[in-house]
Amino acid sequence: MPEETGEVRERFRPLLRAVGVGKAFVGNRVLDGVDLDVMPGEVHAIVGENGAGKSTLIKILGGVYQPDDGQLVVDGEARRFRSPREALSAGVVVIHQELSLAPSLSAEENIFLGRFPRNAFGVIDRGLMRAHTRQVFEQLGITVAPQDIVATLSIAQQQMVEIAKAILADARILVLDEPTAVLDENRVDILFATIERLRAKGIGIVFISHHLEEIFRIADKVTVLRDGRVTGSAKVAEVNQDWLVARMIGRSFVAHEPHARRVRQPALAIRNLSVPGEVSDITLTVSEGEIVGLAGLVGAGRTELARSVIGLSGPVSGAIEVFGRTVRIRSPNAAARLGIAYVTEDRKAQGLLPNRSVRENATIANLRRFARWGILRLATEARYAREMVKRLDVRLASPGVEIRTLSGGNQQKVLIGRALAIEPRILLLDEPTRGVDIGAKQEIYAAIERLVADGMAVMLISSDLEEVLRLSDRIVVLRRGRVAATLSRAEASESAIMRAAALAA
Amino acid sequence: MPPKSRIALGATSIARTWQRLGVLAALVLLVIAASLLSHRFLTVPNLMNVLRQVSIVGILAIGMTFVILARGIDLSVGSILGIAVVLFAGSMDSRGMLVSIPLGMGAAALAGLVNGVGVAYGGLPPFIMTLGMLSFARGLAFIYTGGTPIPINNESFYAFGNGYFAGVPIPSLILIATLIVSGFVLQLTPFGRSVYAIGSNDEAARLSGVPVKAYTTLVYVISGFLAGLAGLVYASQLSIGTPIAGQGYELDAIAAVVVGGTSLFGGKGSVAGTFLGTLIIGVLANILNLTGVDPFVQQLFKGALIVAAVFIMSRTKR
Repeated sequence: MPEETGEVRERFRPLLRAVGVGKAFVGNRVLDGVDLDVMPGEVHAIVGENGAGKSTLIKILGGVYQPDDGQLVVDGEARRFRSPREALSAGVVVIHQELSLAPSLSAEENIFLGRFPRNAFGVIDRGLMRAHTRQVFEQLGITVAPQDIVATLSIAQQQMVEIAKAILADARILVLDEPTAVLDENRVDILFATIERLRAKGIGIVFISHHLEEIFRIADKVTVLRDGRVTGSAKVAEVNQDWLVARMIGRSFVAHEPHARRVRQPALAIRNLSVPGEVSDITLTVSEGEIVGLAGLVGAGRTELARSVIGLSGPVSGAIEVFGRTVRIRSPNAAARLGIAYVTEDRKAQGLLPNRSVRENATIANLRRFARWGILRLATEARYAREMVKRLDVRLASPGVEIRTLSGGNQQKVLIGRALAIEPRILLLDEPTRGVDIGAKQEIYAAIERLVADGMAVMLISSDLEEVLRLSDRIVVLRRGRVAATLSRAEASESAIMRAAALAA
Repeated sequence: MPPKSRIALGATSIARTWQRLGVLAALVLLVIAASLLSHRFLTVPNLMNVLRQVSIVGILAIGMTFVILARGIDLSVGSILGIAVVLFAGSMDSRGMLVSIPLGMGAAALAGLVNGVGVAYGGLPPFIMTLGMLSFARGLAFIYTGGTPIPINNESFYAFGNGYFAGVPIPSLILIATLIVSGFVLQLTPFGRSVYAIGSNDEAARLSGVPVKAYTTLVYVISGFLAGLAGLVYASQLSIGTPIAGQGYELDAIAAVVVGGTSLFGGKGSVAGTFLGTLIIGVLANILNLTGVDPFVQQLFKGALIVAAVFIMSRTKR
């Protein structure tokens, strides 16, 4: 049966291969000798910690970056994509977490955007467009009406539309970049059903996810990246979670000296707190003089928890106690009066007053403190700014300069200084060292430790495992809005956190 | 790194000084040019005349500065001025000044309150909300008067627009008092500081505990109130309440704010700058009048001035 042999050979030739792909940015190697094979009808998962090189690899596959060494082979032919357009024409489509649909257009218009079918009069042939859309939706089991406006669709449905768009553009390799990060569990099932159909069509799929159990549900093969290198590649059926976690972490973690901290009375106690759609049934306590780390994947509900504590989410159920008193906090102002300060993870959008001075940025959260009879005492304010600059080791020419002229690390210190201006007893730090260079990181750690030594209760939200492990007395791991584990300093390790954060219980 | 950032800081501070001095320097240059072009320019009566002529738009522009600093816009100030004017005129002779003035000013502040609530609590874009008020308030002024101007016969009211105190026109004194109080509020009160913060990044201000909605509302109330005050000067100067009073003044006010160096993107600027901007436009108009330039051509100068001022400022930034 020669025909079948041919088909078998076809099935065993990779659609896409990456051979020894490497990439460096200003001398910093982010990918090194990465090999990857994607067969037709195969789901190939890529896993790795933040910074392992996953997104660089995706960008190379999608034609955004060009590899410094190694090559991409599509259908047995070496290719060099100089743009996403070229990747597209070779049949490689990357579906990013942030979808790229036009929200005010319909599903079918999005699918045919830029290549509308025309009839004899040069007018868009809506009938043809709808027929094609219907057909592909049916094939993929998508239950969206072609004429629905994208803005009215759920994120999951929008993903489907984007996948359908790729298929109609003759994609043969789909790269799905953390598609489940924005989906709740039921929607994940729907997505996986679609992926099954794509697989049956012979499409090759590269699937990125932080959730390891998803790998075991959907993937055929898995490649683990760490520090830009492949640390393992195997058939999913032949490995288990321990195998994956071991290859993701790799290095053994050096425990830091436990700090001689005097933990005093409970400062913030959260009991069975739920915010619909964000977090559910969270219970945790932060005491004076202690740091409680809040770990978890992006989207696990850590920021949402902090925001609900300072009164920024709508109705919540459960209770919050501050120094033993049950309170209802309805605004950041109310939180401040109770001695709770929050430092945002999103400096640019929610933190900085970019074109105002460092001084004004430092005092905006508690202007009342610097006013008497409703008039600002500029000298008092300037003194606070100078002291804050000294205390937090902010590097700048003068507190009068606009904050946007400072480096990220120094901006962050000023925002911590802003929180301290309300003289808080409870400090919620959300990713305090994101986008901060290593030197400034150490300075921020030192500042946090000094505050804690003086009795501050700190809740530290961080995706940087080393940071959480280094600073925290206890670590609470959230997963999909729930507490997945509470780890003591002795129990905590990168693998324990990763397991709790990424695996189903 | 440190030397480089120090240079960068030096550069920005030079740019900022230039920005601040730039408006003043432009005014000085303009005054020098004006005095060379006409010997009548640099005389006390003429300068007092300029000062009186700019007072109405100057007061409006100060209110506008509050709104623009908070990253808003108020297109309705001309119409709010109009409604205040017809209310002053309609009640002055029958009820007297003590009732009439609070009535007109109160109505103006109320219109500002409606703007503020619509923007801050209703979530309407400032442009749309105040565009609606521009039409609505003007309509009310026409309805109230039936389209006919109402004369005012009140000797003491006449002084607000036409009197002098220590040789200075009273409307100019009202403008200067407004300037001083506004400058004080913006620079030295928590509210003023918060207005800058809201304009710079309202989300950050909110997270910092600034009552963003209340303060945003207040900013429009101030703008409305000052439009009422400008209306007081207007009604007094003309001694007549016409429903078309203040038509188009909103654009003159915005022009003065912009020429004065306040950023339309919020968070940057001052009422002192606005005052200088008002004077620049006023002096330009004055010298064009003195040298007998066709009023139609004067419009060209004004338009060019606005664009040039903003262009220069965008160059000196950063």
